[in-house]
Amino acid sequence: MTTALIILIGTIVTYVIYRASKVVYKKWPLPFFHPLLLCPLILIAIIQLSSLQPSDYALSSSLWTHMLGPATVAFAIPIYKHAPLLRKNIMIILTSIAAGTLVAIVSSLLLSLVLHFNGDLLISILPRSITTPIAIEVSKTIGGLPTLTTVFVIVTGVTGGIIGPYVIRLMALKSPVARGLALGMGAHGVGTNKAMEYGEQEGTFSTIGMIMAAGMTLVWAGLLIPSLLQITIL
Amino acid sequence: MVRKTITILSQLALIHVFYFAGVGLAHILSLPVPGSIVGLVLLLLSLFAGIVKLEWIEKAGGWLLAELLLFFVPSAVGILNYKEILNWQGLETLLLILISTFIVMAATGFTAERLYRRKRKGEHHS
Repeated sequence: MTTALIILIGTIVTYVIYRASKVVYKKWPLPFFHPLLLCPLILIAIIQLSSLQPSDYALSSSLWTHMLGPATVAFAIPIYKHAPLLRKNIMIILTSIAAGTLVAIVSSLLLSLVLHFNGDLLISILPRSITTPIAIEVSKTIGGLPTLTTVFVIVTGVTGGIIGPYVIRLMALKSPVARGLALGMGAHGVGTNKAMEYGEQEGTFSTIGMIMAAGMTLVWAGLLIPSLLQITIL
Repeated sequence: MVRKTITILSQLALIHVFYFAGVGLAHILSLPVPGSIVGLVLLLLSLFAGIVKLEWIEKAGGWLLAELLLFFVPSAVGILNYKEILNWQGLETLLLILISTFIVMAATGFTAERLYRRKRKGEHHS
């Protein structure tokens, strides 16, 4: 088979199963049916049952992976549309995300120590709250394994997309700024996708939260994480 | 239908221009930021400068953001490459991520909600 044909089939099959998963989740909104859980599980089952290699599937679905780049660019649209709203709340955004990024790094580190995780695993898990491309950069900077970090970022996204609504209810988060920032900080793009279901304002705050979280984590990776690691591991 | 498809595809092409410009710029200047984020900034600046009109990209942009989960699917399937994670340590890792994500969301949301209420109260009094 030619590469073009493989990509055509992978693109269509992935899209159809994704659409079907969305329909199922809409009809039965159970955590287990979350599209980013159900759709990959069906695809994994297909790959395991057939003679396909995971790398074959990665190639065949590369068009969709590629779209993450332009989709990140498209986040400029909600930011542009709601620029005055963001300017008005800039102090809330900066303070909350500073707190969020610190809690993300410190809680991951402490829990890793409790569970006796060793070097690579521990370092690679620290940037898991932020969007994939920047998490990879941070992972490289602090000496982790970028591929392992990618796995943790995805698992964080799925987890956050599922528990996000429960956190919002439990913490009685009423304002769009709190809801959006919690989702964008805790679960990057997947959380932002959820935030957009709440409303356009929530989606915008989530987008800006996601971007700020990535930026601040880059800063922490240079200033804070090396000394934190030195204190705790050595 | 055909017209709508053409509109979306041409808008998607324009967004790609910004994406590739961002990737190129990040590479040439060896920025520590991914090209897609540089592309986002370039598009944002162009929108504010009026070089790009919102209507030129809004439909394709809306589609990209609405179908974001689809673009994560191949990476999620990629977990298959880490079969060694599917053991006891994998379960512990999942637990860690669950607890930590919960704390992060709660802390961020709590901070924002508090500050928002205080700000609104302040505006009310003044």
